[in-house]
Amino acid sequence: MINDIRVGALIASSSVKRGNKKTLVFIVFVLSLIFMNLVFLPSMIGGMTVLFTGFMQDYPYGDVVIEPTGDNTYINNADSVLKKVRAVEGVRAATKRLDVGASIDHKQNVVGVTVTGMLPTEEYEISQYPYIITDGDFLGELSRDEIIIGAMIAGTGFGSEIYDNLGEVKVGSLVDVTYSNGVKKTYKVKGIMEGTFELVDLNALVHYKEIEEVYGLEESKATSVVVRIDKQGTEEQIQDKIREAGVNEQVFTWADKSETLIKQAMQSMGAIDIMSKFVSLIVGAALILIIIYINILNKKKEIGILKAIGITPRSIVLSYAFLSTFYVSLGIIAGLALYLSLMLYFQANPVVFYETMEIRPVIDPMLLIQSIITMLTLSVIAGTLPAWSVSKESILKAIWGR
Amino acid sequence: MIVVKDLKRYYGSGETAVKALNGVSFEIKKGEFVAIMGASGSGKTTLLRILALLDDATAGEYTIRGLKVSSLPEAERSYYRLTQVGYVFQDYALINEMSAAENVYVLSMMEGKSKKESYKTALEALEKVGLKGKEDRIPDELSGGEKQRVAIARAIAKKPDIMFADEPCANLDTNNSKQVLDVFKDLNDNHGQTIVMVTHEHWHTEYVDRVITLEDGVLVSDEMMDESGEEK
Ligand SMILES: Nc1ncnc2c1ncn2[C@@H]1O[C@H](COP(=O)(O)OP(=O)(O)OP(=O)(O)O)[C@@H](O)[C@H]1O
Ligand SMILES: [Mg+2]
Repeated sequence: MINDIRVGALIASSSVKRGNKKTLVFIVFVLSLIFMNLVFLPSMIGGMTVLFTGFMQDYPYGDVVIEPTGDNTYINNADSVLKKVRAVEGVRAATKRLDVGASIDHKQNVVGVTVTGMLPTEEYEISQYPYIITDGDFLGELSRDEIIIGAMIAGTGFGSEIYDNLGEVKVGSLVDVTYSNGVKKTYKVKGIMEGTFELVDLNALVHYKEIEEVYGLEESKATSVVVRIDKQGTEEQIQDKIREAGVNEQVFTWADKSETLIKQAMQSMGAIDIMSKFVSLIVGAALILIIIYINILNKKKEIGILKAIGITPRSIVLSYAFLSTFYVSLGIIAGLALYLSLMLYFQANPVVFYETMEIRPVIDPMLLIQSIITMLTLSVIAGTLPAWSVSKESILKAIWGR
Repeated sequence: MIVVKDLKRYYGSGETAVKALNGVSFEIKKGEFVAIMGASGSGKTTLLRILALLDDATAGEYTIRGLKVSSLPEAERSYYRLTQVGYVFQDYALINEMSAAENVYVLSMMEGKSKKESYKTALEALEKVGLKGKEDRIPDELSGGEKQRVAIARAIAKKPDIMFADEPCANLDTNNSKQVLDVFKDLNDNHGQTIVMVTHEHWHTEYVDRVITLEDGVLVSDEMMDESGEEK
């Protein structure tokens, strides 16, 4: 066996050393593309996931979110919850919100929305809402009868053609809001917000006091308490600490909350991802097989000669296993270089969705390792099978073709 | 050392079968230098390939030193080819991507010798065929005669029991042919190398001890030669 390996290595190395360099470059190039194909799309999808989870943190859930227990609609005495939460080490900021269902109408157009009642000054520390006002201004501490409207329902933003909208609502327009309890109120549009994200752009914001009044709530009720923390990645510790601090409501991390949502969104993505990987693998395997098979057909005579002079079929097969491993290793290295430069490019020039959603691909080392192992395994099989079948042919047939 | 009894080799079957060998019997003793002659298509190459275990006989018996090699399994045949048989192909059959030295020493490595030792053996064999200094050239950088001599070096480097050569001078001019035949003669005279060589050049018989002649797949004459190449 040792002899087989040594001889296999000798045959393979002389074949690389003196073989056609153009063919080598071509094979390596094709293999690098196959590798790219395996890792590129998943990286983009990874980038989309990061973007999506970023939205979850920046708007509805913060890093940690506290919601009412059981069937309760509200957290009772949110202020005491806030007091406890703010005292927890590692918490940067926290605020309370009141989410309610409502419909907005303007000039015979009606759309259903979630209206979030919030404390505007606190939101600067909590969310991106204050920073995404494209027209007009964000709410202020004294904002009453004023509303911020998402760009998609305003009928101005990207995506408004897909959803029902109010048809050209502008800053200063008057809209009527009918709340889920039947109360109807007219608001002046103070600003239009555009987060290029449906959960934001299909909603509306008013001052916390508005909701309190409309629903006749007392003693600082909230549908959620949104918490931001000092250090990303410590969500779960903070979650525990908040519970230990005596908060008896439900405490979730953003990941818990977005899990279901992301799962849904990513399921279709995941399916595409898996399918694309599968197709890449099949195409890759077929290409590797074809390349190496053609290569071997050209060397049929050589294989016959080697056998005729007493070289064992095993060393011949091994030499092709070495050869294809070599090709594929070069292909992987070239593919990695290509991939990393593309990653660098897309870090600097992200793909833009919805005009402002910037998708930066994410490099997943596990995925890279997985792809490298897959490619290597494939190549050994693809390289060995044809060599094995040719080495089984009779010597006469291999050398003289009959 | 070689005994062939009623050896037959048919290509195809039934009415249309080509009877390339149709019952050939002879013996070859150790240390003999035998020429196989005959018209084109008489079955010389077919016979040599069977003797060198590159092909199988359709019928008949073939023994080397009493061992019935015709019925050996492939792995053993492969080992036998490696260790006991040297074969010089009519068309050299060198590996184009290997240097002259590599073409020769790949076999020593297969036999389990160290790389250094293998290289040394290869250089010695190449020197013996007059190719000293050309060991690093690849076949494309060698003339036909030089390639033929690399093929011979490959066959003799492992010091085989028997060496087979199929028209080793077919592509060579007289000068080169003489060089090759001198190498064979030297191996035979000074090292007792058994050689079976196919040829159709009559003057080659000067070098050999014995001439076997085939015609349409049967042996028609088997004669010993004296020093001058004349029949005894
Ligand atoms: N693979 C094959 N299939 C069919 N017929 C074959 C095959 N190989 C050889 N033959 C036939 O067998 C006969 C003997 O061929 P062989 O090659 O042994 O002749 P040869 O004596 O070596 O001739 P040459 O001097 O031309 O080399 C020829 O008639 C040839 O056509
Ligand atoms: Mg012939």
